[in-house]
Amino acid sequence: MTQARSHEFRTRAVQALRDETLKSALARAKDGFVLKRRQALDALPEYEALRDRAVAIKNHTLEYLDHYLERYEEAVIRQGGHVHWAENAEEACRIVVEICRQAGARSVTKGKSMVGEEVGVNDALEAAGMEVVETDLGEYIIQLANEPPSHIIAPAVHKTRGQISDLFHKHHARYGLTEKLVEVPDLVNEARQVLRQKYLDADVGITGANFLIAETGSNIIVTNEGNGDLTNTLPKVHIVTAGIEKVVPTLEDATTLLRLLPRSATGQQITSYTTLSTGPRRPGDPDGPEAYHVVLVDNGRSAMLRDEFREMLRCIRCGACMNHCPVYGAVGGHAYGWVYPGPMGSVLTPLTLGLREAKDLPNACTLNGRCADVCPVRIPLPDLLRSLRHRQFQHQLGTRRARWALRLWAWLAQRPGLYRRVTTLQVRTLRLLGGRRGRLRFLPLAGAWFRGGRVLPAPEGETFMRAWRRRGKNP
Amino acid sequence: MSGARERILAAVRQGLGREALPVASREALDARLRSTVEPDQHLRPRLAEGDIGYLFRARLQSVSATHEPLGSEAYVPAAVAAYLDSRHLEGPVAVAPCLRALDWRRAGLDPRFGQSHGEDVLCVSRAFCAIAETGTLVLLSGPDNPTTLNFLPDHHLVVLHAPDLVSHIEDAWTRIRAREGDWPRTVNLITGPSRTADVEQTIQLGAHGPRSLHVLMVDPGDR
Ligand code: SF4
Repeated sequence: MTQARSHEFRTRAVQALRDETLKSALARAKDGFVLKRRQALDALPEYEALRDRAVAIKNHTLEYLDHYLERYEEAVIRQGGHVHWAENAEEACRIVVEICRQAGARSVTKGKSMVGEEVGVNDALEAAGMEVVETDLGEYIIQLANEPPSHIIAPAVHKTRGQISDLFHKHHARYGLTEKLVEVPDLVNEARQVLRQKYLDADVGITGANFLIAETGSNIIVTNEGNGDLTNTLPKVHIVTAGIEKVVPTLEDATTLLRLLPRSATGQQITSYTTLSTGPRRPGDPDGPEAYHVVLVDNGRSAMLRDEFREMLRCIRCGACMNHCPVYGAVGGHAYGWVYPGPMGSVLTPLTLGLREAKDLPNACTLNGRCADVCPVRIPLPDLLRSLRHRQFQHQLGTRRARWALRLWAWLAQRPGLYRRVTTLQVRTLRLLGGRRGRLRFLPLAGAWFRGGRVLPAPEGETFMRAWRRRGKNP
Repeated sequence: MSGARERILAAVRQGLGREALPVASREALDARLRSTVEPDQHLRPRLAEGDIGYLFRARLQSVSATHEPLGSEAYVPAAVAAYLDSRHLEGPVAVAPCLRALDWRRAGLDPRFGQSHGEDVLCVSRAFCAIAETGTLVLLSGPDNPTTLNFLPDHHLVVLHAPDLVSHIEDAWTRIRAREGDWPRTVNLITGPSRTADVEQTIQLGAHGPRSLHVLMVDPGDR
């Protein structure tokens, strides 16, 4: 499994907040994603109805997941493909490495696959002595930088043009490309040139899957660059890595989801390429892979079916939740320390890696609810984060100070008279500390919060309850 | 490995809190699979009133693809030659075998018929159908229409016959199911040229696939 550093969230978040380059990269991306999504959805009056339908399709499929997985498997086999099942990350890697070995592979190209990132397939292949080349431009950039993705659909969103220029300059010299390029078209062109040869040389191509179709045994990938298509067409073996929750019954079901995915992700009606691959090449076909393998990965998913976290399995990986998250917008994806960032990552990471490794993630949330509002499959992300916090409390995973503070608050909250008196006193004190500007720059016991230059507006001098009562009397 | 399969399916059922499904439920689910239920009509995005051909061309334009009308498939070679000329393109051309019967010589061209290996400056293939809703071309892999033609050249030209234009994505699935033979190895839904926004969110055409996509719309009624 890809090495996690989620336990370092606090330190990494503080570092990220001080990183001015990151701040500008994130701000640019956020505005673009948010605006384009809005425009695309404004032009789709059927949006809310499609969302309801998408939720129903996903819920239905999950309810009968065992059956649809079996039907999907049968269809793949009928078309001449192979299906492999991996309970965890290690097993998935072992299967992929084994297929590549049997194919005598020296070079492997990869289309973007979040499951591939999750299980850490690149490291496994490299350890087995194979060259692995990421072909999605964003993934390629972060591969050169030796970093994990910082966004699920725009993996290199944190990188500026200058940084990309430096990376290409450093890594492309060995292909005889020594000129330092700075303009976007030149950078894209150079990557095209380098990667074109990699596609042609590759023995195996690995892609992910946005959907697996039980009806036909196809996998669907949605891309803009065409890298996924070169990856699944040119090498003699095509391997698909996919989570078990990716299956849907029919093409019509997939179509409903396809109408939501690109619009929610990049604001496109449809991406440049939506590709269905079904089995290996047919008799007479002049191109396409000679062998087609699917690796179905569980890695914690079946356990999520048990309780409220089943809702998380509806996720279609569009990235809208992170694009609209103020915490993600401030700290970026790397602070989350694993492959899935933002609100969906704050739910998935603790469920996959354990509450202890990712204990800060469910708490790095303001519960403002925007992620749930924009999620095309209506995943109640804030509720799920709250459930995780609750579990943490039950498992005694919070810091001792937080646990005591919560206990104290609970004790106080059960005594309304005392609660009112204490909070009135607090509010007045803070008002005084806030001074004329009404801003707090430091508080005892909360020094860490103010590090990095944060300020807190001081209360106006009245408790919420008093204000409520006052307004209730004279509205 | 089959052990893992059984364990995963068992874990799924345990997560769902039930045993394997009884035969009756399985049959009901299979009926749903076969019937390919279409979402209620109201979930198909409503298209602007009028001619879907007009809408399709507008969509093509919005994704930076170009198009030109042709009165007959016989004019395809001349259109390809004119395309090469107007852009001062030189280099090998590969054409889908399904277009082999056309008179390419008369247009002064000597293309190769078959797949591309990456050296071609331009490739010509034929769309199985196209979707007005999204401005999408649907291409099926097979001996007459190699997939590599769609992705390796700088310029991809696609022949589309006007009657093959359908309104929504679902209509394309219906057409593919209705044709003879197995489900194709590859179904490519192509909407505009290859693009990327991975460098500072700036859209750049021609990331890995074609830099331009040009549709030759054959419509005998359009003369
Ligand atoms: S949780 Fe919802 S919004 Fe976030 S990536 Fe998944 S589908 Fe998209």
